[in-house]
Amino acid sequence: MKKRYWRCYVCNDVHYGIAPPELCPTCKVLHAYVEISAEEARKILGGGPDTALSREDFRAAIERFAVGNEFEVNPDAAKVDLLLTGIFENEKNHGFKYCPCRLRTKDWEEDLKLICPCNFPIHETYKGVKDGECWCGLFVRRK
Amino acid sequence: MPRLVMFYGRECPHCKKMLPLVDKLEQETPARIERLEVWHDEKNADLMRSYREAIAPKCGNQLRVPTFINTDTKDAACGEVDYEKLKDWALKQV
Repeated sequence: MKKRYWRCYVCNDVHYGIAPPELCPTCKVLHAYVEISAEEARKILGGGPDTALSREDFRAAIERFAVGNEFEVNPDAAKVDLLLTGIFENEKNHGFKYCPCRLRTKDWEEDLKLICPCNFPIHETYKGVKDGECWCGLFVRRK
Repeated sequence: MPRLVMFYGRECPHCKKMLPLVDKLEQETPARIERLEVWHDEKNADLMRSYREAIAPKCGNQLRVPTFINTDTKDAACGEVDYEKLKDWALKQV
């Protein structure tokens, strides 16, 4: 099924997916999403605030992302530092925060799977592995 | 002598660990491995992509680094391994 764009008619949140959220996460209104075109979605998002995400912001974001999950950001600070350098180099040079330990294929859809954080819990380096970690080692199973 | 290549990423911690092992391997054995960086060199990246069929089945269906490949036989090995395992793979090729 193909993903499409949806807009909350109350607060203008934009959602990209095969179906709209039942409950708008921002305004909490039920059944508030209506399908819109890609162009309309781009205009809404493009006109929004320019929320830059610095390296420190991203670091904080992945720490928050890991809270409540069974994994954590790798306690090895030097490794994380090197990975963050790669992630931001990739964003600067290739447009997205691609994993520095995998190569993009140039297939847009396929390469979305390489944006950090990726869906590593399904990968063989993590799933069912006691000391599992994502391929690059940014996230490790919480001890 | 077959062409052995190591595809690596400059900011990949696994690659960083493997590079000194490749240096050691070259000092101790006749194996020679060409190191090609793929995130900052599009020519190298395209070369790695050209071996996708050989690499992906060994690398979780993706183009992961570090990857070692014999460009003649297309025998590929993927990921951070210890020195002995790297040596076994390399000596099998030469």
